Amino acid sequence: MNIVVFIKQVPDTDDVKWTENNNIDRTNTESILNPADRQALETALNLKQRYGAFVSAVSMGPYKSLEILKEAIALGVDDALLLSDSKFIGSDTCATSKVLAACIKEKFLNTNLILFGQSALDGETAQTGPSTAVRLSFPFINNVCEIKEINENNIIVISENESEKITYKVKLPAVLCINNSVYGYSIPKIEGYIRAHDYNYKIYNISELRLKEEETGVKGSPTYVSKVYKHNEYRNCRFINTDELLNKIKEVY
Amino acid sequence: MESDGILIYGELTSEYNVKTVVKQILTKACSLKEKLENCSIKVCLIGNRRHYDELINELGVYGADEVIITNDDRLENYDKNYYPEIFYQIAQKYRPQIILLGSTAQGKEIAAYCASKFNTGLTADCTNLDIAENNRLLSTRPTFGGQLTADILCKTLPQMATVQENIFKDKRIEHNAFARFEWINIDEIERKIEITDIIKKISEKKDITTSDIVISGGLGACKDNGFELINKFAQKINAAVSGSREAFEKGYITKAQQVGQTGKTISPKLYIAVGISGANQHIAGIKNSGKIIAINKDENAPIFKYADYGLKGDLFKILDELIRQYNTEKEEKQ
Repeated sequence: MNIVVFIKQVPDTDDVKWTENNNIDRTNTESILNPADRQALETALNLKQRYGAFVSAVSMGPYKSLEILKEAIALGVDDALLLSDSKFIGSDTCATSKVLAACIKEKFLNTNLILFGQSALDGETAQTGPSTAVRLSFPFINNVCEIKEINENNIIVISENESEKITYKVKLPAVLCINNSVYGYSIPKIEGYIRAHDYNYKIYNISELRLKEEETGVKGSPTYVSKVYKHNEYRNCRFINTDELLNKIKEVY
Repeated sequence: MESDGILIYGELTSEYNVKTVVKQILTKACSLKEKLENCSIKVCLIGNRRHYDELINELGVYGADEVIITNDDRLENYDKNYYPEIFYQIAQKYRPQIILLGSTAQGKEIAAYCASKFNTGLTADCTNLDIAENNRLLSTRPTFGGQLTADILCKTLPQMATVQENIFKDKRIEHNAFARFEWINIDEIERKIEITDIIKKISEKKDITTSDIVISGGLGACKDNGFELINKFAQKINAAVSGSREAFEKGYITKAQQVGQTGKTISPKLYIAVGISGANQHIAGIKNSGKIIAINKDENAPIFKYADYGLKGDLFKILDELIRQYNTEKEEKQ
């Protein structure tokens, strides 16, 4: 079984810096592995343990993203590669999903399962996984928290939303977006760190993914940010005591 | 082909009523329509209902001009294999300028599916929608962990956006919609996903979206008996309990109780924020509340800027005091 996990390095959201084009300035901001993507990695590693699988971690971004690929290798994935090209810069969800779908078509033809984190800290659109799935004509399931079973043709997963827990049987290959997974966080072993340090990380550019310049980056992105601002919904706060608070409650009823 | 109008996904509840978020989107669509020339508002209903009259009336009252109905026995309940493709085929046929969906489980799936098929842009979880120059849809949403707000435009058609429930207010108007039936052959769609089991979660918790008073705990309450006190006080004053993303991640509340950009948007008459610092993503979920009271020990916490009233101090002591005072008042009355 071949599993691809798409992971993303996200900026520390407490430390915002922007480029002139109002895109996030990733080079000057502290970065971390997106928390939901970490859950996707853990899910893949759990499947590897249970069924045996070849797990590849793939990230799209600047060379700095090699940091999270190292983290993935240290955790125990088999292969890690980076999709990086200056022409990818400024990609929105639509353009990003084109790059990721091209990566699967060009480099992972025999993939059975593709995992994403449900959403990214920085964008939170939660659309990249589903959009990539649609481009590949693969079925997708959001909010997957547990994988019950996998065989050659199907995977049985549990997806949880606030009112129900639904079990789906999905035809492979499929895309799953992982959220609130049951698989916890493993701690890398020292051998993992050594392997991560010595690993030869492959890097693919736009031509190796056979994409055209106009399909990706700013040119291939239908959406653009016209303005970014700090919003201001301030009210005039008056400090009160507990008596007054109870009175405010009485005013409601 | 020329594009025209606004298309909305007419999501229904499990009792086959129009979802609140659809009515709210319709009211917003009416204000967008005023700024666009020759714009009609269409709602797409997918299902197998025999009696559509009530739904058509209901959608009309909130501003729909046309209701497009696809009818098939196999579409009784939402089906991941069919609904996104059917909605896409309808959108392809009617070529709307703008497509709007509720930011629900269904809405998100259909939106992602259509945006990819159309190769167009999609702005998720918008907090406002407007018409910019050249009749473009201007979508506003918090970005970067809610630190900032971004106005987003789309270069391609259709322009797509999803909106959470309670971001907009709905309004009934004097208006009639007419219905159009469309037939889509779903035999040609491959079924790759089947449901094998559904477990309904039963919540005994008071609904935070409908309660007049909501009391909410943040990181500051995520220790010792913080949430115990919040729950106790809430029960006494008949309030619903909610919490921040941190409170959800730490297991003190359920997902249904989470307020903010990644949780629910609420507008109670009174919102009491306990130990919540006031990150923008949290504010996004509560800013339409009637009055906001903040309890926090840090006088520089941003939450105070968004509050009408503030109590500065240790939340555990303040909650203890509130419960004690409440009990005393009750006893005096008896």
